[in-house]
Amino acid sequence: MRPPLLRSEDALIAGVCGGLAAHLGVSLRAARITMVALSLVGGAGVVLYGWLWLLVPTTEERRRGVATPAGLRLGAPVLEGQRSKPARSFGAAGSREVMIGVGLLVVAAAFVAQQLGVTVQWGWLVPVGAVALGAVLAWSQLDEARRARLMDHAGATRAEGVARLAAGLVLVMVGLLILVSGSLSWEFTWPVLLATAAVLGGVGLVLAPWGLKFWEDLEAERSARVRETQRAEIAAHLHDSVLQTLALIQNRAASEQDVIRLARAQERELRRWLYADTAERTGNLADRIKAVAAEVEEEYGHPVDVVSVGEAPLTPRQDALVQATREAILNAAKHAGGAVSVYLEAGTAVSQVFVRDRGAGFDPEAVPPDRLGIRESVINRMQRHGGTARIRSSETGTEVQLTMPEEEAGASHD
Amino acid sequence: MTEPITVVVVDDHAIFRSGVKADLDGRVRVVGEAATVEEAIAVILEQQPQVVLLDVHLPGGKGGGGAEVIAGCGDVRQTTRFLALSVSDSAEDVVTVIRAGARGYVTKTITGADISNAVLRVASGDAVFSPRLAGFVLDAFGTAAVAAAESELDRLSARELEVMRLIARGYSYKEVAKELFISIKTVETHVSAVLRKLQLSSRHELTRWAAERRLL
Repeated sequence: MRPPLLRSEDALIAGVCGGLAAHLGVSLRAARITMVALSLVGGAGVVLYGWLWLLVPTTEERRRGVATPAGLRLGAPVLEGQRSKPARSFGAAGSREVMIGVGLLVVAAAFVAQQLGVTVQWGWLVPVGAVALGAVLAWSQLDEARRARLMDHAGATRAEGVARLAAGLVLVMVGLLILVSGSLSWEFTWPVLLATAAVLGGVGLVLAPWGLKFWEDLEAERSARVRETQRAEIAAHLHDSVLQTLALIQNRAASEQDVIRLARAQERELRRWLYADTAERTGNLADRIKAVAAEVEEEYGHPVDVVSVGEAPLTPRQDALVQATREAILNAAKHAGGAVSVYLEAGTAVSQVFVRDRGAGFDPEAVPPDRLGIRESVINRMQRHGGTARIRSSETGTEVQLTMPEEEAGASHD
Repeated sequence: MTEPITVVVVDDHAIFRSGVKADLDGRVRVVGEAATVEEAIAVILEQQPQVVLLDVHLPGGKGGGGAEVIAGCGDVRQTTRFLALSVSDSAEDVVTVIRAGARGYVTKTITGADISNAVLRVASGDAVFSPRLAGFVLDAFGTAAVAAAESELDRLSARELEVMRLIARGYSYKEVAKELFISIKTVETHVSAVLRKLQLSSRHELTRWAAERRLL
C-alpha cells in the first residue's frame, strides 16, 4: 500500500515535493526536477505547488487532527487533498485566521459607518477591542473539549443561551467603559454600582476557565481516592478468601480430595463475588438450585455443574422441586461419584430439572424398598406436589428428570 | 496416522499454557504461544495454525481480549479456527467471543482428552458447545417453539432446540446422537447451524437479552 500523501518534514519550501515523492514512490530529486520543469511551462508547477501546499496536511497536522482508520486510506492524491481540507480549517491555524478576519471586518464596518454619517467614537473602539482580546486570550487557555463542556453548562449551545451570554458580555463591556471613561461622580451612584457589578461579572468570566481547571483537578483527585478505597476493599476480600484458601491448599497438598474441594469452594465463592449482582440474588428458582448444588458439592467433593435457563419465582411447588433436586444430586454424588450435571429449565408454566451423572447406573425397579432416598424424597415428593419424576439409568450413567408444572393441569408438557 | 493438528495457545498465564501443552495428546502439535493480544496476532499470522486455543481475557491491545485477537487476524480467519477457553462463564465473555467468530467455547476445567477432542472437532469445521454455552443459547433464543414467520436466522428449529437441551443436560455429541436416533455428523450439523445463528442473528430477543447483559 502506498504511504498517504503528506507534506514532508524535511522541506526546502513546504515539503510538497518530498511528500509527493514518498507517495508516488519516485526519488525526491526527480519530484523536484519535475516540479521545476512544470513551473517553466507557463507556471503550472507553481500553481500545482501552491495548491498542494494549501490542501495537503503535514505529518504533524495529520497526527493531531485527522485520525483516519487505516482501511479508509485513499490512493488518489486529489481525494486525499479534498478530504484533508475541512480538517485543516478547524485546526489551530484556522481559528487564528478567523480571528484576524473578524477584527478586520469590525474595523471595516466602523469605517463604512463613518462614511454613512454615523460618528464613530474611536476612543471607544480601543477599550472594547482590549476587552474582547482579553476574553479571547483567557478562553483560548481551555482546550476544545473543556470549552465545549463549559459552553454547554452555560447554555450557549441554544439560541436563548447565546442571547443571554451576549447580553452579559455587553454588560461587562459597558461597565468597563464607564469605569475607564472616568464618570466616577457620586451623583451617578446607580450607574457606578451597575458598572461594578459588570466588572465583577467580567472578571468572573475571565477567571472561569481557571476555576474550571481547578475544579477538574479536584474531581480527579477525588475519584482517585474512591479507586484507592475500592482497591483496598478488593485486597481485603482476597486476603480473607483466596489467600486463606491457598494457605490451606499448601497444608493439605497431600490429600487430592481436600485440595479439589477447597479449590472448588473457593472458585464458587469468588465467582459469586465477581459476577453475581448482589441486587439480583433474590432467591428465585435458579439461585436455590445452585445453592443446593453447591451444598452437595461441598459435602462430597464431586463437582456439580449447574446450567440454568429462564426464570421462575419460588412457589411452594418449586420449593418441592428444589428439595427433590437436592436429593437427586445427593444420590448422584453419593453413588455415582465424578462430575454431576444439573440442567434447569425454568418457565412460568412448567419447570424441569435434569440431574445427570456418569456412574455405573442402577435399576430403579431393583432399589430395595427400605432405601428411602430416591423413592420417597424424589419420586413421591414430586407426585405429591403435582409433578413427575422419571429415572433413566444405563451403564453409562443415570439421569433423573423432574418436571413441575406451575398449574395443576399443565403436566402434559414434554 | 494423519498429520497432527497445528495449534497456537494464547493465554496470559505461562503455567496454564504449559498445562495445556502437557494435556494435549499426539493428535495435536503446539506450534506457538502468546500472552498478549499483539503477540497473539503476530504469532497467528506467522504460523497460520489450524486451531487457536484462545483465552477470553488477555492483556494488551485495546482491551478487547480474545475477541480483539480474532478481529485482528483478518484473512487468516478463512483457514484458522478459534476455540475460546476461559475460566469465566459469564454470558458477556462467552457471547462476545462467539460473536467475534470463535467456533466453540470450553471452560478451563476441561480434561486433557476432552480438549484434544475439542481441538480436532473445531479443526474439522464443527462447533464445540459446552453445556453452559448451550444454556446461554437456550436463554437467548428462548426455549419455546417459535412462529415460522420469523427469519430463519432468528429462531432455532425444533431439532436444534432438542440438541441444545441435551447438550445443556451434559450429554456428549455421541450421547445426543444416540438419544435422538441420528448420526453424530447430523448432531454436528445442527450444532454448527446454531453457532451460525448465534453469530449472525439480530433477533429481537437476542439483542434484548444481550442488551440486558450489556453484550452488544
